[in-house]
Amino acid sequence: MSAGLDNLKHVVVLMMENRSFDHMLGALRAEDPRINGLTGDETNPDTDNEPAKVAPQAEFQSQLDPDPDHSFPAVQKQLFFGTPGPPAAPSMQGFVQSYWDKQHDVAHSHKIMYYFAPGKLPVLHTLAQSYALFNGWFASIPGPTVCNRAFAHYGTSFGKVDLDIFYVVEPFKSIYERMLAAGRTAKLYYFDPSSSTQEVVNLLKDQPQIFATYQQFLDDCKSGALPDYSFVEPNYSDHPGEDGGEQLASDQHPDHDVQAGEVFIASIYNAIHQNQDLWESTALLITYDEHGGIYDHVPPPACIPDGFQASLADTGGMPFAFDRLGVRVPAILVSPWVAKATVVPGPEDPTNGRVFEHASIPATITQHFIGTYDNRSPREKAAQTFLDLLTDEMRPDSDCPGFELD
Amino acid sequence: MAQPPVIRVPKPAHTSYQPDRPLWKNTLLQNQVRRFLEVEKTLSPNQPPGISVDEGTTEGDAAKYIRLMTKRLHRLPGEE
Repeated sequence: MSAGLDNLKHVVVLMMENRSFDHMLGALRAEDPRINGLTGDETNPDTDNEPAKVAPQAEFQSQLDPDPDHSFPAVQKQLFFGTPGPPAAPSMQGFVQSYWDKQHDVAHSHKIMYYFAPGKLPVLHTLAQSYALFNGWFASIPGPTVCNRAFAHYGTSFGKVDLDIFYVVEPFKSIYERMLAAGRTAKLYYFDPSSSTQEVVNLLKDQPQIFATYQQFLDDCKSGALPDYSFVEPNYSDHPGEDGGEQLASDQHPDHDVQAGEVFIASIYNAIHQNQDLWESTALLITYDEHGGIYDHVPPPACIPDGFQASLADTGGMPFAFDRLGVRVPAILVSPWVAKATVVPGPEDPTNGRVFEHASIPATITQHFIGTYDNRSPREKAAQTFLDLLTDEMRPDSDCPGFELD
Repeated sequence: MAQPPVIRVPKPAHTSYQPDRPLWKNTLLQNQVRRFLEVEKTLSPNQPPGISVDEGTTEGDAAKYIRLMTKRLHRLPGEE
């Protein structure tokens, strides 16, 4: 066991919304060729059969309006356009045409290929280049939010590929229930009552003890009262706060302001970093639930089936056995015990590449805090865990960035 | 002693705050409201729902309803 793992007392997961790896981090390849981002030559055909090229022109807001389609059928088009469909390899050629479907505007459809220029996202870009960046972290399902977030909470979505209510199928319990039953502590911190968790039916109802708010997260960091495991949700809506002030959505879901999400990520990082004992004993994973219909160039790999079969009504008639992953998303592991500028290779490296997905979250938490635990989904049992990235050497604070919020 | 590098994080533009943004533009929030409506039916089967969703419903309206429902659910099971 590494000294970093030996010292680890807390794991915090922050899951943002609907942005692909290339959209947020693709520009970093120009600065570090180990990062599997964009060369600048990637294209998708538009509906006039002209190539729409990637471009570093992503803006914080008002660009991806309307919201790109990321339902299961739309994502199949994004992945398999120009192919006979699964089991053929994804072409990653249908993002522009899928976005065109939203409002039949050819010029606007090209914006789905835009990515953030280097330095435009000071928080995410700094963290990606300072800590451990995953080249191969994928959404669990080629579909929308709720089913993907379910994989982070349960290691499965119980056969769902959409945003509908789902019901827990025994024996798979949430990571929070597992932790509490094992005598550990766990909390899901949602932003505030006006922007509560996406986990309404199965968690929020009847289980108030596992929930707290973002303000409580900040207080718990300050007082050293953070539980063993914390899952943090951003603010999903623009709404008045409890004190009457403006609470800006920080989830980065189009068309919410990406810069507000940058501030939110920095505030989570700062809350941990500013308590030295907590900083030295905490690993923070920052990731995104799914790609939100936005372009990424890496074909999602196959994975072992999850033991469920999706309803054809939900998939648009395409059989789906949860045997392939969704589109790649940003994922960064932050800890002073992570070697500076670690890049975890993904599918681009056939020898050393590792593939992660959201089932890696409960798999990692269970492995570290609980140990042997059999009643887990096939996908979770097969998922890679990530705490081996903690090393024997703790970096000095002078080597760890801080963020100053305006 | 060397100081940690400090990166300045700019504030979002004031115009970013748009609680009057139509709810239909955000499928995630729409579905969250829909799921709360399902839960509300099980809690108060004979009462009218706490929100009526139509083309004029805004993100701010949705947040207000979600607040109401979150507070109701959090009282369960100990406080009711």
